[in-house]
Amino acid sequence: MRAALATLRAAMAEAWANPGAFWTQVIAMAVNDVAWVAFWLLFFDRAGEVRGWDSSRVLLLFAVLTTSAGLVLGLLANARSVGTLAANGGLDALLALPVPPLAHLLVRRIDTANVGDLVFGVALFLVTGGPTPARLGIYVGGVLAASVLLTGFPLMTGSLAFFVGRGEAGDFGLHSILLLAAYPADIFTGAPKLILYTVVPAAFVAGVPSTLVDDPDPRTALALLGVAAAFGVAGWATFTLGLRRYTSGAVWTRA
Amino acid sequence: MSAATSRWFAVGVGTAARRALAERGGLAFTLTFYAVIVVVITALWRAAAESGGGTVAGYDATALTWYILASEAATVALNIRMIEVVGDDIASGAVATEMLRPASVLGVRMAAEIGRALPRLAGCAAVGVVVGATTVGAVPSAAGLALSVPALVLAIAANLLAQHAFAAAAFWVRDARSTWFLYQKLVFILGGMLLPLETLPGWLHGVASALPFMAMAYVPGRLASGHVEAQLLVVQAAWIAVLAGVAATAFAAGERRVQAVGG
Repeated sequence: MRAALATLRAAMAEAWANPGAFWTQVIAMAVNDVAWVAFWLLFFDRAGEVRGWDSSRVLLLFAVLTTSAGLVLGLLANARSVGTLAANGGLDALLALPVPPLAHLLVRRIDTANVGDLVFGVALFLVTGGPTPARLGIYVGGVLAASVLLTGFPLMTGSLAFFVGRGEAGDFGLHSILLLAAYPADIFTGAPKLILYTVVPAAFVAGVPSTLVDDPDPRTALALLGVAAAFGVAGWATFTLGLRRYTSGAVWTRA
Repeated sequence: MSAATSRWFAVGVGTAARRALAERGGLAFTLTFYAVIVVVITALWRAAAESGGGTVAGYDATALTWYILASEAATVALNIRMIEVVGDDIASGAVATEMLRPASVLGVRMAAEIGRALPRLAGCAAVGVVVGATTVGAVPSAAGLALSVPALVLAIAANLLAQHAFAAAAFWVRDARSTWFLYQKLVFILGGMLLPLETLPGWLHGVASALPFMAMAYVPGRLASGHVEAQLLVVQAAWIAVLAGVAATAFAAGERRVQAVGG
């Protein structure tokens, strides 16, 4: 744990080495997020309420999504790169270190642009989420559960590269879950809706946590924690098993 | 364009298209991503139409579905981060080697990118027809759909030219990477990729209609949604001429400033 924290501190120092570039990227991502907020406001201005969702509920969903995505893609940036690193044989440097490989890999690199998501998500919740101590607590808990899920899912799909030799599955897994999580699952019906709660659990990334903030329910909270834990463990297990099949590519610097 | 220029441009397009077809993993990724995204966004708009009494800004559920199928195809077929790639090549000085060719840097890059996009565009169009037919059934107007085919090709040409014009900023500011975020959002909203321009408030609709981004997503979407408005193709052609002029001027001025270190 101490080694992981030291690595995270080093990654933060690296990201902060050029403050001008750091803030440029953070601000660019925040502006990017503002455009999404604009889209939702324009959409609901035209459409009114859609299947129980209005602009305030969707902004809360978006706050949870950007905060958790910022945490994972910003502070644990390598979670999205596991497939590429595994397929290209880019984990050699990692394996030579006397630290748990997965923890070190996850905290080794910070993606500055996605830190902008984290900042934006927190700000959006504080401005539009009606923060009270109870709502803030559920928001933080929901974001943490969503972050475990958002780490575990691309880790699991990316680690398939250890077995199949191609890294695209990780990228596709991440893109899919982020894309689907950005929309209320209630717009779907039938099989697509079932998929969002099971195989690609995008509904649990933002929709379920944001609903819990508005309408706390112990059973829903337990379901969220269960799904997050299940995908967290699945990601860890797939990576650990896959690492036994890893073949060096003599690439020392990418991890 | 002289005969020789047309010839190397066509060769560049053909070579890049063959290369894109050979990269089956990348092509499959693009088509799968397109399928996922259109299933999501068309479902959103159909739900909106259902809640709004059948129509949104004059579009019914069928028209909205075909609109999104076309507007998304026009953008998903392109490399979304091309501004970043071109900007990196400029900032690193790699573009200097391209200046040694007896052909325009911008022209060669445009030929390669159009060639790379065409197979993806054709694939997205095929997937879109399947998604449209299985979710809402027949296209609102066969004539509109036919017009949307050239509109899609013109849309990617306009988009690629505008991305090169944006990326040319790297000749002066060195790091144009973060601008792709902003450019992308301009296409998403003011270009009409995520929503028809008619759904925007009046003043914003006016602004968006006067900007080149509408040529990149709105026009093919509008045509595919059953609005047989052939004059929109002329608007696209006009924007292509303007954007080509801006990109060519920016590259010509920028190439005189390139400084490369090492080889």
